[in-house]
Amino acid sequence: MAPAVKIAGVSKTYAGSAVVKGVSLEIACGETLGLLGPNGAGKTTLMKMIAGLVRPDAGWIEVFGRMVSGRSIATRSLVGLVPQDNNMERELTVEEALTIYGRLFAVPCLTDRLTELADQFSLANVWRKKTGLLSGGTARRVLIARALLPRPQLLLLDEPTVGLDPDVRQELWQIVKKMEQSGKTIIITTHYMEEVEKLCRRVSMLCAGEMVWLESVGASSGAELNARFVQLAKQVSA
Amino acid sequence: MSGVRAVFYRELVMLWKKIGKLGYVFAALLYPLIYLFAFGLGMGGRQGLGDGYLPFLVSGIAGVTVMLNSFQQTAMSISVGRLYFRSFQSLILSPVSAGEIVSGILLAGLVRGLISGALLLMVGEAVFGVSVANGLFLLGMVVGALCFAAMGAVVGLLVTDVDEISLVNNFFITPMIFFGGSFFPLSNLPEFLAQVAGLLPIRALNTVLRAATFDGEVMLCLSLMLVLTIAFFVWGLALIRNYSE
Repeated sequence: MAPAVKIAGVSKTYAGSAVVKGVSLEIACGETLGLLGPNGAGKTTLMKMIAGLVRPDAGWIEVFGRMVSGRSIATRSLVGLVPQDNNMERELTVEEALTIYGRLFAVPCLTDRLTELADQFSLANVWRKKTGLLSGGTARRVLIARALLPRPQLLLLDEPTVGLDPDVRQELWQIVKKMEQSGKTIIITTHYMEEVEKLCRRVSMLCAGEMVWLESVGASSGAELNARFVQLAKQVSA
Repeated sequence: MSGVRAVFYRELVMLWKKIGKLGYVFAALLYPLIYLFAFGLGMGGRQGLGDGYLPFLVSGIAGVTVMLNSFQQTAMSISVGRLYFRSFQSLILSPVSAGEIVSGILLAGLVRGLISGALLLMVGEAVFGVSVANGLFLLGMVVGALCFAAMGAVVGLLVTDVDEISLVNNFFITPMIFFGGSFFPLSNLPEFLAQVAGLLPIRALNTVLRAATFDGEVMLCLSLMLVLTIAFFVWGLALIRNYSE
């Protein structure tokens, strides 16, 4: 079976500084992969490249057998991105923001789908609230609901739980677990080892733009993974 | 076409949210109205133009209003969404083609220009009793608004900092306001300057807005604005197709 995502020798440089260096990776359909790495490791840039927001300087990316470059419309309906920051139109209400997104993706039976997501993500009490006024956890729930609106096959979650309270984090983990059970392919960037252990089948470590290792979750103990992560982070900061 | 409708709907909802805000109202309407009152009251009776100065001034400021709203509001909306709130990402991530994105944005720019231009005309008629609108005037507003919205889209997609729009305003828009024949005829300028100013798109817009009949000059001015619209549309298309953060 063809992989959901195939990344081949992808690199990206900003202002002379290499942010992603020759990363190659394959993610199987239905798999949840954790992308681990310290700040500035290139995780977000790699996610944006998979989503088609950033064009690689070298290499290529395929999503479900289709090239991402060239603004391929076919791949866009298949990918849902949950960005690190709230990128919704601040003046719009949750309802308006989701309606606009649904119209852009030509979601069939949009009203029903919105009702379904509002129930699933408990958004009824913030439905008429401006997206710019949402708390971090609620904004993250709305962003996930928005990404799921067109029923994408691949979900990219960029540090979905950073800065959230432990109870909200647990709640989001449940949501991700449900999405995995529904057969979606998921890529999560995170700083948290616990998150990787709970949610991912495989974990890849990015450091200074390079993929340092890739292995199945469980091949090493959580403590070992954590020790390696801390060591790498120290090397980078030194 | 559903993509164009979706983008147009997005832009209109966002415009509706902004319309009541002081910052928007000032930039979109009060600024041209100040010109209208200052020049209308201060110089209304002093200029010896054929049909009087006030009709000349009202048409000229209607042109300025269309330019400011279609250009600036489009450029600001795109650049702030791209660089500050990142909300522009939702258009790039969506399965809407580059052509549909640019078309939707241009149509919204057209609406911005027409609404503000119409309000300016209403004030002109209510306060100064001047009515200048006719079929050609409407055609000019539509073509001019599309032309300046296309320019605004390209500028909004090109700038790397929101402040860069101020540079465009200072070195491109402001000179067009004052030297594009909005407040006085170009014939009042030194010949060399009049020739340079004659090439500005706002001058083409003003010429159409003030025309009584559809003649060769009007045709030329409309053609110039249409060519610019197409050129900037194609440029915007390329910028969306090659979009990268």
